[in-house]
Amino acid sequence: MRLLDIFLLSLSHVKKSRMRSWLTIVGVIIGVASVVAIISIGQGMQENVQQRLGGFGADIITVIPGYFRATGAHSEMHTDRSVSTSSSINLTDKDIKVIKQVPGVMYVNGIVSGKADLKYDNEKTVVSVTGVDTSIWRLMDNTGIDDGRYLQAGDSNSIVVGYNLAHGTFLQSITLNRPITIGGKNFRVVGILKQSGGFGGSSDTGIYMPAEMAREVITEKVANNQFTSIVIKASDASLVEYLKADIDQKLMSSRQVNPRTKDFTVIASALIREQMSSVTQTLSLFLSAIATVSLLVGAIGIANTMFMSVMERTKQIGLLKAIGAGEREIMKLFLIESGIFGLVGGIIGVIFGAAISLLIPYLGIQALGFGGDMKATITAETIFFALGFSVVIGILSGIIPARHAAKMRPVDAIRYDQ
Amino acid sequence: MVLPIYKTKHDEEFLNIIELDDVWKIYKMGEVEVPALKGLSLKVAPGEFLALMGPSGSGKSTAINMIGCLDIPTKGRVLLAGQDIATLTELELSRIRGKKIGFVFQSHNLYPTLTALENVQLPMRVHEFREAEIWNRSEELLQLVGLSDRANHYPSQLSGGQSQRVAIARALSTNPLLLLADEPTGNLDTEAGKEVLDIFTQLNEQGVTVVMITHDEKIGGRANKIVRMIDGTLAS
Ligand SMILES: Nc1ncnc2c1ncn2[C@@H]1O[C@H](COP(=O)(O)OP(=O)(O)OP(=O)(O)O)[C@@H](O)[C@H]1O
Ligand SMILES: [Mg+2]
Repeated sequence: MRLLDIFLLSLSHVKKSRMRSWLTIVGVIIGVASVVAIISIGQGMQENVQQRLGGFGADIITVIPGYFRATGAHSEMHTDRSVSTSSSINLTDKDIKVIKQVPGVMYVNGIVSGKADLKYDNEKTVVSVTGVDTSIWRLMDNTGIDDGRYLQAGDSNSIVVGYNLAHGTFLQSITLNRPITIGGKNFRVVGILKQSGGFGGSSDTGIYMPAEMAREVITEKVANNQFTSIVIKASDASLVEYLKADIDQKLMSSRQVNPRTKDFTVIASALIREQMSSVTQTLSLFLSAIATVSLLVGAIGIANTMFMSVMERTKQIGLLKAIGAGEREIMKLFLIESGIFGLVGGIIGVIFGAAISLLIPYLGIQALGFGGDMKATITAETIFFALGFSVVIGILSGIIPARHAAKMRPVDAIRYDQ
Repeated sequence: MVLPIYKTKHDEEFLNIIELDDVWKIYKMGEVEVPALKGLSLKVAPGEFLALMGPSGSGKSTAINMIGCLDIPTKGRVLLAGQDIATLTELELSRIRGKKIGFVFQSHNLYPTLTALENVQLPMRVHEFREAEIWNRSEELLQLVGLSDRANHYPSQLSGGQSQRVAIARALSTNPLLLLADEPTGNLDTEAGKEVLDIFTQLNEQGVTVVMITHDEKIGGRANKIVRMIDGTLAS
């Protein structure tokens, strides 16, 4: 028997018991839709995390003052930059020199950051200012310049402005060469950064200037040879984990502290990102497991319907065998029937799942812990996976009933009793 | 009624279409053994119209299942067109049976999810006939049994007599050597039963070999050979 003819015969089964077929398919739809929605939401969540942390390169290590120490029941946070007193800003030239000597370190940028009053076109606001090493910052920045240029050696009263600060903060957009007063000093805009959209956001809403100038304009007091943080670029992203430990060691010995008296922290954002990813991954895995259960319920529904279909068609199976059909053809007949349930349920389920995913942003659900909007990402892989999975489940759940049918003997099947 | 497309000549050369040789069929019901056939020997020659008669429970249906190669004997040989069916695999047997034997049962003959026309086409689809032939033959055969106007009806929309006539058309579709019918009129009233029997008679007159089970002596009278069974064997 040709496959097309077997298919049409299967289709006639499905069409004949329409109500039951639809109920079976609804079971699959629910399973597939929840799988698609959950995978899409999970992927959206991952992307959210990636995007928010994406502002930091994978090869960047940051040293900040203070150390978070957990000691038994007590835990103390030695410092927090926003409430720190000047005495806790304890990173110095000497630390930069030490770090520069660690093998694998490519660039070291001493940062002086803080808040400053800004006046532009008679409008006033408070901005975050990042003072950088002008000769190194351009080499380490991965936001990119939208207009103008980076800071360069010899700049003093020049600033580079974040994209969102330049566009949309003031009535009149900030453009190149515009004068801006910061902390009572006059500056000239030499560059505007691209929009990074990154987490931490300071590059979009902040101002960059030479570190020496930053010390004079920010409200915090930072002594001449001190820095609020040190940003390090590794010569290779794969070195980050090793470098982090090495820098930690070298700084401890140069600063003559031990793990108990340690007063600084080395952070590798790539490692944080990995941890975040693995949290969201675990979460979406867990959710997928729940969705899979509903898919399994759908599969049981198919198997149940198929058993009923086989029982009901005992006589027809006998008839098919009497007129020459073989076991394989009977198998195929019923497998196609259950495959149709899987496929149709899969297609409709994908549509529903995609619709749910697309609606998520409009529901305004807040992403877990990040404060941003929740979003869902539907990929072609997800769709093909869900479709393939539902067809396979359809066929698998049809196997036992189909075998049962195929093994029937024609005489037993045709018996004349009603 | 003529059968223009229907040829009864087959290439094979053999004396008997079917030959049962000392066939036993014993059903096991748990501990109890029920012998339904006890050494039945029987031959069906080409062109015959054979009526199989006998009291209820005498083993007629069991015998016709053997003749139709639907069942395998507990003991003894069944030769289909000279070939011992015990030497065939399941699939081979199924294919040969479908090709060379046409069945008309007492009831539940038709595939309920297919129309009358599609039912007639079904065996040809199983045996992968060419599409043009499938359509030509199925339409001609429906015409032959007088049901062209019911081609698109589903079995539930046909009367018992019409269903049996569609079943005959279907049984003829693969041009079989032998037409088997187990009480084909058992569920029909006299009038519809007569119509169905007329078709069998006319088919036989045109050379179709027929084996039919019946309880009715009048029907048996139409056959050119009557085989009577009692208690699983011939009632000579
Ligand atoms: N599947 C089976 N299992 C057990 N016993 C069976 C089976 N099929 C038939 N029999 C027994 O075999 C014997 C012959 O049955 P069979 O159906 O061949 O009779 P029959 O001549 O066709 O009767 P009827 O005229 O009532 O149709 C009966 O005694 C019946 O009970
Ligand atoms: Mg019987």
